[in-house]
Amino acid sequence: MCGIVGSIGRGNETVEVLMNGLRSLEYRGYDSAGIALGPEMTVLRRSGELDSLSEVVDTTEPTGSYGIGHTRWSTHGPPTDNNAHPHTDENSLVAVVHNGIIENYAELKAELQEAGVTFTSDTDTEVVPHLIAQAVAAGDDPETAFHNTVDRLKGSYAIAVIIDGSETIFAARQGSPLVVGVGDDCTYLASDVPAFVDHTRDAVFLEDGHRVIATTGGYTVLDGERNPVEVDVETVSYTAEATGKSGYNHYMLKEIHEQPTALRQCFSGRADVFDGTITLEEIDEIPQPNAVQFVACGTSYHAALYGAAILREMGIPAEAYLASEYALSPPPLSLGTLVVGITQSGETADTLAALRDANGRGVSTLALTNTVNSTAARECDHAVYIRAGPEIGVAATKTFSSQLVGCNLLAEELVDGPRDLRPLIESLRNLPDDVQSILDSSTAEALVEEYGDSEAYFFIGRGTNVAVALEGALKCKEISYEHAEGFPAGELKHGPLALVTPDTPVFAVVTGDDERAQKTLGNIKEVQARGAPVIAVTDGESDAAEIADETLMIPEMSERAAPVLANVQLQLFSYYLADALGRSIDKPRNLAKSVTVE
Amino acid sequence: MSDTSTPEASRPTSAVVLAAGEGIRLRPLTSNQPKPMLPAGTRPILEYVLNALIDAGVDNLHLVVGYQANRVRSHFGSTYRDVSITYHTQETQLGSGHALFQARNGPSGSFLLVNGDQIIDHRIVEAVAAAHTDATATLAVVEGPEAVNYGAVDLDGDEITELIEQPATGEFRLFNAGVYAFTQQIFETLATLSVDRGELPLTDAIEQLITATDHTVGGVRTDHFWMDATHPWDLLSLSRELLSRGWVDVPAVDTDIYVDDTAHVHPDATLVGPVVVDSDVIIEAGAVVGPYAAIGESTTVGSGSVLRDVVIDTDTTIGPNTTAIELVIGQGCDISAALTAEGGPADVVLGEQVYSDVDLSGVIADRVDIGGSVTVEPGALIGPGATIGAGVIVRGQIDAGSEVVR
Repeated sequence: MCGIVGSIGRGNETVEVLMNGLRSLEYRGYDSAGIALGPEMTVLRRSGELDSLSEVVDTTEPTGSYGIGHTRWSTHGPPTDNNAHPHTDENSLVAVVHNGIIENYAELKAELQEAGVTFTSDTDTEVVPHLIAQAVAAGDDPETAFHNTVDRLKGSYAIAVIIDGSETIFAARQGSPLVVGVGDDCTYLASDVPAFVDHTRDAVFLEDGHRVIATTGGYTVLDGERNPVEVDVETVSYTAEATGKSGYNHYMLKEIHEQPTALRQCFSGRADVFDGTITLEEIDEIPQPNAVQFVACGTSYHAALYGAAILREMGIPAEAYLASEYALSPPPLSLGTLVVGITQSGETADTLAALRDANGRGVSTLALTNTVNSTAARECDHAVYIRAGPEIGVAATKTFSSQLVGCNLLAEELVDGPRDLRPLIESLRNLPDDVQSILDSSTAEALVEEYGDSEAYFFIGRGTNVAVALEGALKCKEISYEHAEGFPAGELKHGPLALVTPDTPVFAVVTGDDERAQKTLGNIKEVQARGAPVIAVTDGESDAAEIADETLMIPEMSERAAPVLANVQLQLFSYYLADALGRSIDKPRNLAKSVTVE
Repeated sequence: MSDTSTPEASRPTSAVVLAAGEGIRLRPLTSNQPKPMLPAGTRPILEYVLNALIDAGVDNLHLVVGYQANRVRSHFGSTYRDVSITYHTQETQLGSGHALFQARNGPSGSFLLVNGDQIIDHRIVEAVAAAHTDATATLAVVEGPEAVNYGAVDLDGDEITELIEQPATGEFRLFNAGVYAFTQQIFETLATLSVDRGELPLTDAIEQLITATDHTVGGVRTDHFWMDATHPWDLLSLSRELLSRGWVDVPAVDTDIYVDDTAHVHPDATLVGPVVVDSDVIIEAGAVVGPYAAIGESTTVGSGSVLRDVVIDTDTTIGPNTTAIELVIGQGCDISAALTAEGGPADVVLGEQVYSDVDLSGVIADRVDIGGSVTVEPGALIGPGATIGAGVIVRGQIDAGSEVVR
């Protein structure tokens, strides 16, 4: 949940810096937002999107020379004004913003309540300001009070604190992301780089256990023992471009249209076309694993299903696991197994927990991610980047396509043995233009007029197209809020077929003309017999287009590349469906882009 | 000149770029992208336009987009060379005046206006910006042997006294180069113009300003380079000109030879300058590419192929042993082995008009699929998505999506 920001050293521009920072972190949550400003200890917070806070800021014109801010995705307590951050102690002498979960908050809260403290929110966070205030009241100086309090917290958190009478921002990182932006005579703190990239590109990526003391004179990073640590200042290559919609109505549509470029970037320089070889320099040295276990959530899990399927075809035992299940009921592991976490942000808490579990058991781990320097990239033994560029829309689009290409590159790099990869290289090279051809000519928008008020939408496919069916359904439900389900086509008759009616269009993903395609044609007839209209997403190789009621055509492509193309058609359908229904496409209700809680 | 020029501080630094038009005379190349996105060498024409503006000190760009707008948006995004871009949409293409009017809430104060489909030297922009002082509008004026799209002008000192839309040949020798500076007045004038003719050209508004007593229209003479592509074959001469001038945004590896570091050129292939090979291109063994060859991003040139005087857009695959001279190829084509296109001169039919003695082998639009050993007869125009069977001899015009077999 949540994004946090902090700024010190910007004088009366502080409010603007904090608000713009929060704006760029809205992808992390948008249930409520707030800021706290020193030295006056002014706190403003509102439920709802950042715009509600903006209105309050515009009317009350608060001032301050340093401060912290927060945009929230609810975990503990509903999105109300009272549950919005920053949280304060009873006398508003301490203000705290927090991303993550304090696991022992119930115990701490009980102790504080016993001591007579009154809580005003349902959040886990509120224990922090009360603990600090208690310590300050008992005579600790602000910094000691901060350290002593952080020492008592269990769980995952990135917190930032301001304390009355101390012109300082105190911050700590444990399990949730926190980055320091190093400016001239000023210091920024944020959950992610875009929050301060307009001001500085020099950043310190904190590690777990690090604490930061930032004043107008600069910043110090300390470890958990309160000893100063040497940190590297890195120059990040982010551009402000990440924050613009380039004239598109939604980030999602922009990112759908960016897929040709994203796919080019993912593939560029990673194949030798004359030798027919694929090389990922980052992991050139790793030996072929005995088995591969993928861990991922949401859209990335669908990419993992695809990755596991292609590795199995190459003779490597491979499975995809939902990360939220993996750490709690881990499958058997042998030492020669490689555990691959797929996470766009590299910060997905469930995936990090699964990777940490695997690390703890002594096997090699690899992060397939879009975010350089993310926690997953740093904590795993290896990292492979999909180079899709920043993705702001909460519903993943271009990063899924790039993950699929990334899975191909990863599989070819991992598996030894001579083989001619020229056909695969050719199809991956053709992919950007094939995606472009769909963007140029898709008829998905027209289908919305015909089927836009259906009761539910089903998506079926076999083989690697199962991943496409599941992803098509997830995209549809995420942004249109309509009921949508994806199934392996053969599974339909074992239950879900009971849901199929003339008012439930079925999207059938049929590529090539092999046995899987033929069997899917049989499944198409099953649902047509129940009166459901069928929309075939097909390359025209099989008879799917002739049998189906409607078609979304994709160019003829290799089996590896076809799922990417089929998925683009489904992305467009979901987008136009959600647009026709007037949904909040870039910020669908209840969701956040980077889910940093388990 | 220096004492009459605009003080640095008040010079227009915002620019509006008109990039909404299809460019009908460039069909069939414009089926998927607007004219400003067609290749000049290996990059969209519009990149050169934006480069000229930024090199002339523009720090705020407004793009009016319309036809296939997503292609422009996706290519440039929200910033280009760290200069922010705001997009304005012209839903229907009703002329340049109407296009500019779409950006009325864009720039504040005086601003520059250029066409997104016309390559200009940045010094033309600088000259117009510097000369724009008291006038309501300032135009770049060029001396030339032929009329530009925007008509001839009469210049009295540094004031334009008349626009002549279709001058008789040889009568006037000064032309409007299509680079302007305006005050906000232009939007007010545009708002008053009648739309009864269906289209609203910008020149109507400028004529109003010329005749109005309380406005002046300035002209600034310049002899710097500008170039326009009107017909498909003009892309060949445009590319030639840019390569000769070295206006190529790809690193030079040798004199007149520009190769991106991500391109793969087989050691047994030969590049003959001037030639540009853009990112992720593959040139296979034995190919001879150039002179005057522009090979766009992710294109493949098969072994033993001979290419000169060609412009090939992105993602096209050219099979082995192809001979291509004076050929323009669009995006994503798949051309099998041994295509022969030996060059002009040709008689080309565009719409109703016949153009004689054009130096053109032919035009192959986007995503055309061509079988082995096809011959392109001079002047052939192959529409987008067409499929040409093996051994076919292509003449004249092939419609979009059609299938031709021997």
